[in-house]
Amino acid sequence: MLEIVFSIGILALIMLPVFMTFSTGNRNIQLTDAEFRAHTAAIELMEQIVSLPFGKITSGEYDSNAIVDGGQFADGPILYKIATADELWRTMKIEDVKRDGKVLFKKITVTIKYAAAPGSDRIREFFMKTLVANETL
Amino acid sequence: MKPCKNQAFTLVEILVVCGIVSVFLGTAILLFTNFRRGYSRSEGTAVLLQDGALFIARLRTDLNNAVIAPDSSGGAPTQLSATLDQLSFMVYSSREAKTMPVVYRYLAAENGGSIFRREGSEKERELIKDRVASLTWQTALERFLEPENTGSGTVRLSIGLDIQLKMRSGDEKPFTLKTSIFPARLNRQLNSP
Repeated sequence: MLEIVFSIGILALIMLPVFMTFSTGNRNIQLTDAEFRAHTAAIELMEQIVSLPFGKITSGEYDSNAIVDGGQFADGPILYKIATADELWRTMKIEDVKRDGKVLFKKITVTIKYAAAPGSDRIREFFMKTLVANETL
Repeated sequence: MKPCKNQAFTLVEILVVCGIVSVFLGTAILLFTNFRRGYSRSEGTAVLLQDGALFIARLRTDLNNAVIAPDSSGGAPTQLSATLDQLSFMVYSSREAKTMPVVYRYLAAENGGSIFRREGSEKERELIKDRVASLTWQTALERFLEPENTGSGTVRLSIGLDIQLKMRSGDEKPFTLKTSIFPARLNRQLNSP
């Protein structure tokens, strides 16, 4: 009987990593979904700023309280258009890239913080950068 | 030679072993069944995510290359045309060095709709087959005026996209996405003096 119990115990131990692999795979799919949503949110914010005329892209730092649907961009008349997303926070930084006193580019950095899985306490961060050329020069 | 009488298992031993084996087997079968169900659900969810991501990426790329240009008949320059089942616009193709129409068509169906894409004179291609539970695309043209400005202000064109993908079996978590796409070239053209 002891041999049988031992063999079953060893079998159970062997099976454990197999089942753990399955649950890891499942978690990764959840994470991919969260990453995709973070990526979409970053592009959505980035695109609406890039689409503006160069002169309207105001440099500064914008936090998640300012970046809300219908909120004012740089306290001006242009309003954000943001799709609602749970457990996702956006921040944005716009900097001037100058040469000889002239602004050649605007460097836009969008950072997204998001929960790794719905209801999870683990927060991940994703950022995206781009440059907008001053076409008026 | 003296025969040994205690070599066989007793009934109690066999019953106990059978009980333990049954418990182990039962647990293993339960775990495996749960895993199978979870795996097929996760696989379906991953397929839906991939379909959705590819479609959004394709549409976003096309819209970023969209321009205001006369259509093939030489008619008035058009921006975007959106109906319930069709989204069409002109894109600038770097490869062809000319503008050409791109048409997205949504074919709704009770068991899952499909999305097709056609570029120029090419044959229509299927992007998502029988998995679209719902899809809406709405264009919005906004105008933002400076308080003291008497000019035309800043114009912004966007496409609000709301899509839900579902597997036929319905066990999988549906893929839902609501976002806006801002065609950069078109907006630049609209705001150019």
